[in-house]
Amino acid sequence: MSEILNIIAVGLLLGGVYSLVSVGLNLIFGVIRIVNFAQGEFVMLGMYGAFAAQVALHMDPYVAVVLVTPALFLLGAVVYAVILRPLGGEPMMQIFATFGLLMVLQNVILAVSGGAAYSVDSVLSSRSVSIGPLQFGLVRVVALTASSVVAAGLGLYLKLSLQGKAIRAVAQDRKAAQLMGIDVERVYTITFGVGAALAGLAGCLLSPLYTMSPQIGTNFILPAFAVVVLGGLGSVLGAYVGGFIVGLTEALAGYYIDPSLKDAVLFLMFIIVLIVRPSGLFGHAGAEEVGLREQS
Amino acid sequence: MKLTRRQFGAATLAALVVGAGRASAADPIKIGAVNPYTGPMALYGDEVTRGFELAADWVNAQGGVLGRQIQIVRASAASAQEGIAAVEQLVGRDKVDILTGTYVTAISNAASESAMNYGKLYWETNALARDLTDRGLPNFARSGPSGREFAQRSVEGVLKLVASRLGKDPKDLQVWLEHEDSAYGTSIAREQESLFKAAGVKVGVGVHSAKSIDVTDSILRAKATAPDVWMSTAYVVDTNLLLRAMRDQGFKPQAIVLLGVGDTRETLEALGAEFLEGVVLVSYARPDINPAYGPGAAAYLKAYQAKYNRDPIAPQSMNAYVGLKILFEAIAAAGSVDYEKVIAAAAALDRPLGTYECGYGAKFDDKMQNTRALPVVAQWQGGTVKAVYPANAAAEGVKVVNLPRA
Repeated sequence: MSEILNIIAVGLLLGGVYSLVSVGLNLIFGVIRIVNFAQGEFVMLGMYGAFAAQVALHMDPYVAVVLVTPALFLLGAVVYAVILRPLGGEPMMQIFATFGLLMVLQNVILAVSGGAAYSVDSVLSSRSVSIGPLQFGLVRVVALTASSVVAAGLGLYLKLSLQGKAIRAVAQDRKAAQLMGIDVERVYTITFGVGAALAGLAGCLLSPLYTMSPQIGTNFILPAFAVVVLGGLGSVLGAYVGGFIVGLTEALAGYYIDPSLKDAVLFLMFIIVLIVRPSGLFGHAGAEEVGLREQS
Repeated sequence: MKLTRRQFGAATLAALVVGAGRASAADPIKIGAVNPYTGPMALYGDEVTRGFELAADWVNAQGGVLGRQIQIVRASAASAQEGIAAVEQLVGRDKVDILTGTYVTAISNAASESAMNYGKLYWETNALARDLTDRGLPNFARSGPSGREFAQRSVEGVLKLVASRLGKDPKDLQVWLEHEDSAYGTSIAREQESLFKAAGVKVGVGVHSAKSIDVTDSILRAKATAPDVWMSTAYVVDTNLLLRAMRDQGFKPQAIVLLGVGDTRETLEALGAEFLEGVVLVSYARPDINPAYGPGAAAYLKAYQAKYNRDPIAPQSMNAYVGLKILFEAIAAAGSVDYEKVIAAAAALDRPLGTYECGYGAKFDDKMQNTRALPVVAQWQGGTVKAVYPANAAAEGVKVVNLPRA
């Protein structure tokens, strides 16, 4: 009994990691309708940001969040304004551009770091908590908590704030929103910035878990796509729940079937969901074509 | 005397011919070093070539080989395809006589076949996969250990050193073999598994992807079998992730054995000296090895520090350095850089263990794998790596620590 509980706990904690990484990706997709291939690289930049803050300012990665998240917001906004906005009329070109951005960011970090792998230390790094027979690392518990807070916060922001309402309006009908006096390009810029900031936050919070390499972002992006598709394209709740579905699937398949087959099991499920319910479990029907609808 | 245009032309031509003849006698022997100098593997590719360059400096200071200086020419290859292009560039443009490398098996595989097309020797020092020598490529030899030697040494270390420290007979020993799922990890783990089974050891095997976001499932599977010894063959990033998951899950095997990686600053920073204390490593010999086991290793370290103003990044460079020293002996014995003659001369070499800095000797088998190139068993001790096995490899005063793990 304790065995299955432990695996479920491992899966839920991993789900927290995936949710955290996927929420920003889903926001960008839902609103701007761009599949941002560079989202994993924003996570990677968040990690290296935490590392830089530690080396330069002796900051714990959990404190570095206050620097790294706004920095990533700015980067995201600039990337949108400089690279993606000029390609506005050509969605395919925008997707290619994000792929190019992926390559550029990876190689810039590679050039700067010289290919060496770095680690960040935190006060929580080697702490683990025990509940009965279960034991887990505190860093993962923080990631799970943060993903819950972020998902709830983002949901409320979109639902209640004027800016959030503008974002939803643009997502639902760009032209109508424009007619209502909403500055669509400004909304896009802010949305891309928020998406990048969420990735940066994820990178910071996850940095004590991983040894960083410039390629680490690509390790996150594939499961993140699975999360987004399973949970529901364009839905914050979908990204949150999708994270747990993917995390639990991986942990259960990895433990009870074989760790080398967990990706196969996950992507089999991914394909089945695509066939049976293309909009994902929490996405609204048609969201895969038109993007974000009402937040549930 | 009036020089006609025709006479002047003839004189110039004659001077050129004479000059060219002289130049070729004094021409250096050019060795093309194929390694990744860009991309994610550049750090280690560069480190391997530093070993080549130090070997060239060493032999040039002694008058070179066959009276010619050795010149190392770099060409970057971060993939198999680039390996082929690098060989084409080195042979076509740089006119190298011999090719060497390689930090990555896949690059070696492609580059050495390309070298064969040009009729050039490919002298491998560092790539590990057994297949490279098993191909029987006539221009190919490997001076350093292959994956098989790593597997054998790791099993020997567990059976002779770890088991006795744990006070267990091999038949009572439970070992878990964790490996990443590419050909590198799989081939070594298979070799280990068959060797352990032959010794009557109970073995569990776990596979993970080096790109996994989480490996806790792998750790829990291992933990469920309660192994005495947990061994891993993986890359740096996933090795660190495994060790962290192990710590988080409170999984405490009596011995942890890491093969190939886990012996650098990258793992020390990730896990800290306290956790790593006593972790067993199967790795290339380092410069602080006992001078009776690896003569000249200290001088190598000095030369490295003098040339690069730092300590070696990883022990791969000394293995590369020794590899080229063996090559120089083969060229001298062959009296030529022709691949058939060098391979024949290398095949005839018979140097006992303990001849070179890494403790290697030179005796090639029929596949041109050096059978006297063996890694050592080392341990993390107080944040540094110390060789502990074979016993004569351990530097004076070095003892085995924290085994079984506290």
